[in-house]
Amino acid sequence: MKPGRLRISALLASAVVSLPALAACGGTDSGAAGAKPGPDVITFRSFVKASDVVTAAFNKTHKDFQVKWENVPSGGDYYTKLASSVKAGNVPDVAIVEYNQLPDVVSQGELEDLTETAGPVVAKDFPPQVQQLVNLGGKTWGIPRDVAPLVFFYRKDFFDKHKLEPAKTWDDYTNLLEEVKKADPKARGGIFATADPGVVAALSWQGGGRWYGTEGQSWKVTIDDEPSKKVAAYWNDLVLKSLVGTYNSTSDDAFFQAVQKGEVVSYLCANWCAGGLQSTVPDQKGKWAIAPMPSLDGRPASAMLGGSAFTVPKGAKHPEQALEFIKWITTDPEGMKAWLSSGTSSMMPAAPALLPATGAFKTDFFAGQDIFSVVSKAYESVPAGWTWGPSAGVTGTTISDSLGKVASGEAKLADVLTSAQQATVADFKSRGLSVAQ
Amino acid sequence: MTLTATSAPAVRASTPHRKPGARLMPRLLSRTAVNGVLALAMLYTVMPLLWLLMAATKNMRDLFGTNGFTFGRTFDLGPNLAHLFAADDGIYLRWLGNTALYAVGGAFIATTLCVAAGYAFDKLSFPLKEKIFGLILLGVLVPASAMALPIYLLASKAGIVNTFWGVFLPSLVFPFGVYLARVFSAAYVPAEVIEATRVDGAGDLRTFVSIGLPMLRTAFVTIFLFQFTGIWNSFFLPLVMLTDQHLYPLNLGLYTWQTTSLNQGHPEDYLLAITGSLVAVVPLVIAFVVLQRYWKAGMTTGAVK
Repeated sequence: MKPGRLRISALLASAVVSLPALAACGGTDSGAAGAKPGPDVITFRSFVKASDVVTAAFNKTHKDFQVKWENVPSGGDYYTKLASSVKAGNVPDVAIVEYNQLPDVVSQGELEDLTETAGPVVAKDFPPQVQQLVNLGGKTWGIPRDVAPLVFFYRKDFFDKHKLEPAKTWDDYTNLLEEVKKADPKARGGIFATADPGVVAALSWQGGGRWYGTEGQSWKVTIDDEPSKKVAAYWNDLVLKSLVGTYNSTSDDAFFQAVQKGEVVSYLCANWCAGGLQSTVPDQKGKWAIAPMPSLDGRPASAMLGGSAFTVPKGAKHPEQALEFIKWITTDPEGMKAWLSSGTSSMMPAAPALLPATGAFKTDFFAGQDIFSVVSKAYESVPAGWTWGPSAGVTGTTISDSLGKVASGEAKLADVLTSAQQATVADFKSRGLSVAQ
Repeated sequence: MTLTATSAPAVRASTPHRKPGARLMPRLLSRTAVNGVLALAMLYTVMPLLWLLMAATKNMRDLFGTNGFTFGRTFDLGPNLAHLFAADDGIYLRWLGNTALYAVGGAFIATTLCVAAGYAFDKLSFPLKEKIFGLILLGVLVPASAMALPIYLLASKAGIVNTFWGVFLPSLVFPFGVYLARVFSAAYVPAEVIEATRVDGAGDLRTFVSIGLPMLRTAFVTIFLFQFTGIWNSFFLPLVMLTDQHLYPLNLGLYTWQTTSLNQGHPEDYLLAITGSLVAVVPLVIAFVVLQRYWKAGMTTGAVK
């Protein structure tokens, strides 16, 4: 007993002794920079890939101030953390915010108003369909980094073998799905994502639905408007006829397994899926291609699934430098090049002038196809007029909670939209926001 | 899987009222039921671990292309580990070190405080003793994650947000350990022994260090293990407290990898998170294997008395 106890306590004691030493070395990074009379250091909080590369590239070329990157988890926890940082006054100078979360973050008073400084940049460098995502209530809250228009991913080898063509209209798409099923009873030409309410929103957006809006001084919520219900009925039908496979999302294990086995030969996803697809199913290199997504009348139309902007949180200590950095990483060709320098990111810059930076993406997985020309056309065809609302989170959870039931035929997608409408209006009211009926 | 499949019909087949072997049947029945439940519990704990073990030996292609509970077409544990320890300039080792420091250092000091406090509550008398103890019990009732935000705001006032101390100091407080230590002290340290030391002229501190503490060794290990796993698994507090990834504990680092892995189409990090999770389990297993004999020895002490 005795020697054993000694050993353990010796171990513990040494751990405790070495503790202040290690703690001290953890603090030097930030501490030294503040103490030395050198250039200012601003903090930059972001969870997207290549944030480190961009920071390093900026620091190398800029001497008047430096940037320190804070790597943090993404998802709902990110926004919890941002809210508590603002509450305690420990905010970073620059923070990433996704478009669908921006109204929520703004309505909680967590951001600095950038109308004076970033407003002109947003008006000059960005098209209206993305301006509307960062301009809320007549004020500008951030500068867009990337956009995520939906496109149609398909297995070119399968399509060529069975003489199939990507669909132009939704009616064509139904036929295409039937043909795919006929050609290979195990294969499906599309998926229904049961854990991703963003897809339902994007399809409604493309179909002419507008979930949130403002009327005078009030919010307007119309999640179950006619266009959205029409879109819902269409997908509901595909699901019940088993023309599409049901998976949690396009980043789900089961989904990738199905792709690997050739059970999913085409699907709708945003441009960022390209990078994920090529690194997850490297075996299918050269077999995939991208086409515009189907639309109601055959004219090009798309919608966005994701995308993010950079903002300045309320109480930031270096707002001017923060804005300079944000401009560099969103609108400067050098900054955009840094985001894409790995050659594996299929991100689409929100500023159309920066499209050439996407040339870094290696397209051998898509047999050399110039996928970004398809993606940028899709971006152009995103209808303007869509904005997100402060309760997008509640809307999303209400929908995703019921998507599984839609897949099993227990619920109708149109009814799910109606319950999301009710839940969202209730949430607006509980936050004290006025809602126009 | 096969275990559940075979045990379930066995239970059903033996339920109808049948007479032969009346004495044997109930015994057999209860044994089947108990084993069935145990088998289920085992599957529940072992299956995820097995998946983790298998997934960590696969490359990206096999991870999504082969059955989760078998090996992949190639054995890639080596490259995965190499990738893990090289990623972001070896940040994983830093996280491992941080966690060890938070968990071992924090649990050691917390346990020392708990045992001393529990002993004091049991053996000494001082004003407002039971009232103060009630306050500590109140602390047991409030879940740690509910305390994270208030602690964060306090830490912010104290200026220790995003420092080592922001996570370390709160982990020194463990009210349940104080309660446990009091119970242990009442059971393991006879009042007669304490009286004897007083007669010999030892002060309270001397009595505690030389007599009380050695007798409470089991309590020490038990509370240590509780708080060690508690800190090892604590997530929400480091999440709000830390923004410098060099201070992250393992689970927060792994979570960062996991949440960003499928973001913007970079599933490579997914494999990092998987291999990292497997390596993270190892120290916990070692801690339990090494310390459990103290624990077991303690549980049976006094059983005969």
